[in-house]
Amino acid sequence: MPPLELADASPQKSFQQAQQVYRVDVLPMSLGVAEKRTVPGLGELYSHPVYWLQGADLKPDWINRIAKELLIDPILQTYSVSNVQSPVFPKLPQAPMIDYWVFERQFLPGVTDNLGKTVERNISLLFPNETLPDIKVASGEVFWSLGTSLPSTELAQVVEYQLYNPLIQKMTIFPASEAGNQPARYHFPNVGSVEQVQVETISLELSDEALLQLSKSRCLALTLEEMKVIQTYFQRDDVKAKRQGQGLPQWPTDVELEIIAQTWSEHCKHKIFAAKIEYTDASDPDFPITRVYDGLFKTFIAGATKRVQEKRPDLLSVFKDNAGVVKWNDTYAVCFKVETHNSPSALEPYGGALTGIVGVNRDILGTGLGAKPLFNTDVFCFAHPDEPHADRPTMLPAEAILQGVRKGVEDGGNKSGIPTVNGALVFDPRYRAKPLVFCGTGGLLPLKVDERLGYEKYTEVGDTIVMAGGRVGKDGIHGATFSSEALHEDSPVSAVQIGDPITQKRMMDFMMEARDLGLISGVTDNGAGGLSSSVGEMAELTNGATIHVEKVPLKYPGLAPYEVVISESQERMTFSTSNMHALEQLAKKYDVELTSIGEFHDQGAFNIVYHGKLIASLDLDFLHNGLPQMNLKAHWTHAKSKPIRAEVPDHIDEIFLKMMESPNLCSREALIRQYDHEVQGRSVIKPLMGPDQTAPCDAAVLQPILGEPEGLVISNGICPQYGDWDTYNMAACAVDEAVRNAIAVGADPKSIALLDNFCWPDPLPSPRNPDAEFKLAQLVRANMALYDLAVNYGTPLISGKDSMKNDFDDGVFRLSIPPTLLVSAIGKIPDISKAISMEFKRPGDTIFLVGRTNLHMGASEYYRALGWYSQYAPYVHVAMTRRLYPALYQCMQQGWVRSCHDLSEGGLGVALAESVLGGRYGASINLHDIIDDSPELRWDEALFSETPGRFLVSVAPENAEAFSDAFRSRYLPVMKLGQVTEDPTMTVRNVTNEAILLQIESARLRAAWQKAPARCYSQEGEQ
Amino acid sequence: MIKALVLTGDGINCEQETAFALYQAGSDAVIMHVNDLIAAPTRLKDFQILALPGGFSFGDEVSSGKILALKLRHSLGDMLYNYIDSDNLVIGVCNGFQALVKLGILPKSQLRAQQVTLTHNRQKRFINRWVHLKVKQDNLFCKGLEQFPLPIRHGEGRLMVPAGQETAFAADMAPHIALAYQEDVNGSFLQIAGLVNEKGNVFGLMPHPEAFIRWTQHPAWTSMDEAEKAAMTPGQQIFNNMVQALRN
Repeated sequence: MPPLELADASPQKSFQQAQQVYRVDVLPMSLGVAEKRTVPGLGELYSHPVYWLQGADLKPDWINRIAKELLIDPILQTYSVSNVQSPVFPKLPQAPMIDYWVFERQFLPGVTDNLGKTVERNISLLFPNETLPDIKVASGEVFWSLGTSLPSTELAQVVEYQLYNPLIQKMTIFPASEAGNQPARYHFPNVGSVEQVQVETISLELSDEALLQLSKSRCLALTLEEMKVIQTYFQRDDVKAKRQGQGLPQWPTDVELEIIAQTWSEHCKHKIFAAKIEYTDASDPDFPITRVYDGLFKTFIAGATKRVQEKRPDLLSVFKDNAGVVKWNDTYAVCFKVETHNSPSALEPYGGALTGIVGVNRDILGTGLGAKPLFNTDVFCFAHPDEPHADRPTMLPAEAILQGVRKGVEDGGNKSGIPTVNGALVFDPRYRAKPLVFCGTGGLLPLKVDERLGYEKYTEVGDTIVMAGGRVGKDGIHGATFSSEALHEDSPVSAVQIGDPITQKRMMDFMMEARDLGLISGVTDNGAGGLSSSVGEMAELTNGATIHVEKVPLKYPGLAPYEVVISESQERMTFSTSNMHALEQLAKKYDVELTSIGEFHDQGAFNIVYHGKLIASLDLDFLHNGLPQMNLKAHWTHAKSKPIRAEVPDHIDEIFLKMMESPNLCSREALIRQYDHEVQGRSVIKPLMGPDQTAPCDAAVLQPILGEPEGLVISNGICPQYGDWDTYNMAACAVDEAVRNAIAVGADPKSIALLDNFCWPDPLPSPRNPDAEFKLAQLVRANMALYDLAVNYGTPLISGKDSMKNDFDDGVFRLSIPPTLLVSAIGKIPDISKAISMEFKRPGDTIFLVGRTNLHMGASEYYRALGWYSQYAPYVHVAMTRRLYPALYQCMQQGWVRSCHDLSEGGLGVALAESVLGGRYGASINLHDIIDDSPELRWDEALFSETPGRFLVSVAPENAEAFSDAFRSRYLPVMKLGQVTEDPTMTVRNVTNEAILLQIESARLRAAWQKAPARCYSQEGEQ
Repeated sequence: MIKALVLTGDGINCEQETAFALYQAGSDAVIMHVNDLIAAPTRLKDFQILALPGGFSFGDEVSSGKILALKLRHSLGDMLYNYIDSDNLVIGVCNGFQALVKLGILPKSQLRAQQVTLTHNRQKRFINRWVHLKVKQDNLFCKGLEQFPLPIRHGEGRLMVPAGQETAFAADMAPHIALAYQEDVNGSFLQIAGLVNEKGNVFGLMPHPEAFIRWTQHPAWTSMDEAEKAAMTPGQQIFNNMVQALRN
């Protein structure tokens, strides 16, 4: 099909000054190469890209050339150019002669359109010798449904979330026969004109009720007590006098109130972790015990690190910067941070997950003088789409959430050139409304940049405040609190952000050179709270800062000053520099936009100036220390149900296969393959290892410095299922799992450092939240465990994060997530050639179980599969495991360990199956020694108990004795279970005689394990 | 000393490991931002090797390698084509290969127009896994290699030719097929994984040789014995071959 071009016979001259819109449909040469996807209810859909180009005085020739040279792939595609004066509706090549439905997708005004922007910025490449007028470009997609019997009234609903998300996109639907009468086909998504922006003064001379109402209507998320603190502050005589002298009104301006609200938000100030908590343990109702904790963070988290700090001289910077920093060698330090991005991912999963990743990358870029990101690690908690669950109108379909997040991680990680080295996936129906998206990044920092320490900041009075990277729009203003109904057709979308990984990648490259040239004296990222947080925090370094708000570059006009200051537009860093000129020169080379927006000073205040007029001046001491500590109550009771258990089921092999294919145990291969886990060339232990790349490894090992022997180990621990028994056990198991996974691949136990990430249901009381005190008690108990384990293992907590409002409530239906703690670990292995993977490697190797097995069946996969119940959730015997891990590490350093796999969900049975499935051999084991050691176990429980602190290890026969002696001589539990076999079958034998209890060929195991519905992890075509 | 230029910028992201592989091969490898090269294109003459590394230039927007190709064509133009006409070596890996194809430099450099394309995998998704490769047409880059593994990491690695011209292309392309997948991994025409130009001095491939320059990068290295790990890795071999060929 030849391209359809527009002749150069423009319409009447008088139109030429106006903005014209041209449309380019990029069409497949033949149906055979057309993009195709299946949508339930609609059947097969073809699709093609469409672009809208808008400008004044556009020549059709230009548009034709842009289409031909820039927009199409000449081997596969052709194009059609049209405008509203000469509308054209291109037919799909070889399309059947029936009428069909057309769906045209376009971004809403102001939504990040990476494709459109990329085209827009590169049109000039085609016209090196001409100066073209400004051409704006928007991208979209056209879908063609060739066969549906659905009535037109149902079409919109069917495609919602399948083909578009109404929060960021609009869909025009029409039958092909009516295409000629669709002016929307030539609509350009311009941000509508806005009224002149003003700064408002907000009087706080209000009743309590009105104060609360104000907090609500402006989305300040401040409590009455906090509103009253602000009210009182502005009523103080000294404050009044000072403000009068500055020409400011008595009451705060909207800019000031918004800055205070951002700075005092739960997100920024961690109010619950700072609160004074009266904790009552009433697990024995006759003898309740009450204790008061002055801040969970201070008591348990910083408290644990303080206890172990003297044994850890490698801790360089903990809790104070954007990430925790640990010394790596004499030249470098590593830093690590994990963030959550839950609420945005619930609304717009793709953008939410994408910004989660590029956001935590910026935490690393903003650590010290700027670190280079080395790896990403992502942990997701979802409701499985196949499980029955609640549906509410404002809740996205479970599958749409999963798919969107999957794609967001792919684009966020892969396009940034940062490998996604490991992760975890947890399914529970209670994550239906609020999925948890944990995004972690680690980075490398030089210990010294000239005479400065790479992990400190050196911002000085007189330094310029520089904003770099993206521009500011209404993105993310007030997060997700605006409902979509409040938006009208032309309003820029404010609730969600979409990331632009390439703009950030350019900034990343730029920053590394700027740092090494000594041009950056301090840096932090723009995340939650935007400039109000980044500049507000950096202002503490010099005791003052002033932003000239009109200098901040905008995506589109019409932002009020307060919006500019709190916008969460992506891809932005804030620097301080004393050499703006050199920084600007360098930025040009990297195509990074850089703006001087103010200066640091020492006047004790955070000032905002708008066209020369002071519109905000907040005392830094009040801003950062004026927030009153909350007083909360926590109440712990221990409800116990009656145990349920029956005889060992007859067809235990069938039960076991069902377990292997269950969402929480099945192979993650289909998902892992979509993430680049090798870019940067550092990988040593990958997520999947072994001869067939199927061995699911417990932790990742990287070579942070190319060519050097030392390896960086990264692992995670998360087990929310145990929290229903006791969050103490849950948190202890999460720490143990993170540490254990790191040990399993060969990390030195003395090198491990931890991060904590709490995602909790709201623990603040309200009429809709009657058990808040219990949820807070669960939080207290998790913190106690975190402290106990960290201190016992000598593993400091170096950074963390909490997200405390993971509840959905539309007034009818309330759903809270289970209390969830993610513990992430980094560690060191002195020589990467000693790293261990988990698959069995050679027939005849001896199989050992390291660690003790107890009756820990509560929440176990086995009991859950059978509907049984036990009162005993897994518990960490840390007094023993803290000695066990160094012993195992020494055996690994001796070279005795051929394979090592940690035991977690599904216990020994699943670990054994995975060790078989990761390689090409089988295993034959006997449970005798385990039951001899713990006689309370029935054989099926010995196989499936989930006691933490255990490893399945294979050892060459000649080293077997030395290996077991290494434990026995220290009175540590080690049991010989059997052998790796040539025959690829997993066999478990009886205690006393040799009768076979369970025998499954690995082919059957593999079929079950890899059966996971492909739709969970992949999708033909993409949104 | 052989000097190698490794391009970076605009979303290219494998420049450091590519430079490291070239450094290990004995060349003096310099990482240069594409804008620095464009500012002074004659600098290209200082280098005997040009490497276009993997990555996501311009975010793969429009199509992979497309805008980088346009940028190089319009800003370097003849300088680039003349560079290829001399006895220099050019390697394009993954996104670099996509750019070479869209520049019209591969398979035939003389045509200076796009002849084939690299587009979305048949699976319509990104794939990161190790694959088995086979050298088809002998070429200096793959000297001493026959069958070897490398990782692929791409969403758009499927080589396609104009519809209806498959037979003609199959015959015409034979001398250009440097590397083929041993199994159908992404729907690529003739399972093509890498192409070499008519002169044999430009090599483009989707798999990543710079990601296999030490044995501990192989997914099964923990099962290998010492003898196996003593040899040169195939990925490093490709870079060594380039430096060696220029020395001879």
